[in-house]
Amino acid sequence: MTGFLGALADAWAEIRVHKLRVLLSLIGIAVSVGALTAVVAISEYQRQYQAEQSDRWGGRAATIVVGVSSEEGEPVDIGDFDERFERVSERFAFSHTARIVQGMTVGVRLPEGITDVNARLMDPVYSQIHREQLLEGRWLRDSDIEALAPAVVISEPLWDRLGRVPLTQHPIVTLTGAGGGTYQVVGVVPRQGFGDEELRIDLLYDGYRDRVDALPEGAWSQYEIWVGPEQADEIGPVLAMDLRAGLPEGQTVSVSRSDWAAQPGTMEVQATFEMVTGGIAALILALGALSLINIQLVAMRQRVREIGVRRAFGASSGRVFFSVFLESLVATTVAGAIGIAIVVAVLRSDWLLTSMFVGMQDVPPFPMRAALIGLVASVIVGAVSGFIPALVALRVKVIDAIRF
Amino acid sequence: MTLVALQDVAKSVLLADDSRLEILRGIDLEVSAGDHVSIVGRSGSGKSTLLNILGMLDAPTSGTVSFEGREVRRMRSGRLDRLRGDNVGFVFQQFNLLPGRTAIDNVMMPLGHAKGRMFWNRRQIAADMLERVGLGHRVDQVADRLSGGEQQRVAIARALVRGPVLILADEPTGALDIDTGASVMSLLDEVATETDAALVTITHDLHVAARARRHYRLDAGTLVPADLSRAFEASTLAAPVPAPPIGPSA
Repeated sequence: MTGFLGALADAWAEIRVHKLRVLLSLIGIAVSVGALTAVVAISEYQRQYQAEQSDRWGGRAATIVVGVSSEEGEPVDIGDFDERFERVSERFAFSHTARIVQGMTVGVRLPEGITDVNARLMDPVYSQIHREQLLEGRWLRDSDIEALAPAVVISEPLWDRLGRVPLTQHPIVTLTGAGGGTYQVVGVVPRQGFGDEELRIDLLYDGYRDRVDALPEGAWSQYEIWVGPEQADEIGPVLAMDLRAGLPEGQTVSVSRSDWAAQPGTMEVQATFEMVTGGIAALILALGALSLINIQLVAMRQRVREIGVRRAFGASSGRVFFSVFLESLVATTVAGAIGIAIVVAVLRSDWLLTSMFVGMQDVPPFPMRAALIGLVASVIVGAVSGFIPALVALRVKVIDAIRF
Repeated sequence: MTLVALQDVAKSVLLADDSRLEILRGIDLEVSAGDHVSIVGRSGSGKSTLLNILGMLDAPTSGTVSFEGREVRRMRSGRLDRLRGDNVGFVFQQFNLLPGRTAIDNVMMPLGHAKGRMFWNRRQIAADMLERVGLGHRVDQVADRLSGGEQQRVAIARALVRGPVLILADEPTGALDIDTGASVMSLLDEVATETDAALVTITHDLHVAARARRHYRLDAGTLVPADLSRAFEASTLAAPVPAPPIGPSA
């Protein structure tokens, strides 16, 4: 016990006395351990960010998409299939289902005249399944169906064309043709990247269908169901079987998953990203360790006499080895902890994260895995860079050391 | 009681040209508790090698070294380190203080290898020892910044702090002026006498050697009793020889 405490005290005294040398040599370790920790943590954030980006296109994991079509291209009675889908959904007790119609255009009165604009019909749950983000305002609600001026959500380029009237002033948009009338803009979807100039308008499915009996030609509808990823594989085949039972002849139902988690290779791409960036960080760490070993070896040459004196006063070779070993271990662990603490403090900044990952909704807490990997790495570096100088110290001959 | 006994000890080293250089030959020496022995000799005569063998820092090529009746050669390395730490105190010519450490850190160092009360109370014990050598007011001074005499006092405090039964001093006044050297030797004699420790001093200085009760001369690797009166007479720096204290003689 006293031997261990004595070695620890010796190691600490050495660090204290050679503060500057220790500090300079450990800055590299703190930076590289911090880099490793940051890479692992950023990789976790990146995974969440990519998942959210993918969710916007394909829905959250797991999203089951149901489509209906006829073999000979004849129009499908959507109202009939709606009822069938609703019946089956009730049996499965799905909590999140949305109907979506795409591939249609509506005429919108703009300052330069009536312009055809892409339109989508959807249930409000769609925004949850797809993590739809808004630049301004709110998303569609079930209660909007009761509004005298039906609610719409428009894209940012369309908002620009309408004069970017603040939503607090309740801007309206006039649609022409079937379903035409005055609609109130309640939300604006931001541009999806540089160069996105799509003019688009999203309407409430039920609100539009109340006004228009038949969907325009070329429009196609589908149904989305958000279920737990572990249930998706089980539910899919049974759901398909139920929906196909008693289907009018000539019609087919497709059931598939559209979320990113179902795409082969997604996880592998993520793992590769982490491996490459982690590899670079590990390389930096190895360089830091090499420079630490170098500094420690040079320092050891200057400490030969000191080691000899300690041996003369009763320090066993084991004690000298352990003290030198602990010096590196204690110092790199402290440096690593400082590096990790700085990374944690920096990455807990909302401003930084939202700047790095624009639009991320569910910011995960700082991953403990990253901190643990950083700490383990600093301990390993300390052990390796302490072991070699400790071996050198072990070989010091007392007689030669005292004469040194 | 005999503390250290050297019987027919020889030490030689192999040179680069495969020839063998004999440093010590047929050394027989017994040092008992309370003994005060001085060894003089020219540079390169093997004085330091002999001191290292006495302090169990080095092993002889042949012959036996015993400490308190136990043959040292048969001891394992760890046990030998503990035996040395518990029983032997070294004072070096160049002080060999730990650089950058305070006086008290230096004196505490040997206590860091002790056990029990000595380990846990090491700061207080070291402070008391510094007080004893007259450096109570320099406890927290970095050792490198002390004067030569003060540094050697710190070195003496470090050598004595674990209460060794054998003190080995290698040219303890070699780096000091005459007055400071005399003062340091007085302190060393006094503390060694107080604790009944054996003191073996290696020196070039006949005045320092004359303080011992037994005097030896190492000449071409052979240890022989020395007649300091004749040495003083032969010395161009002849000066009155201090009367040796009453005690056992060789």
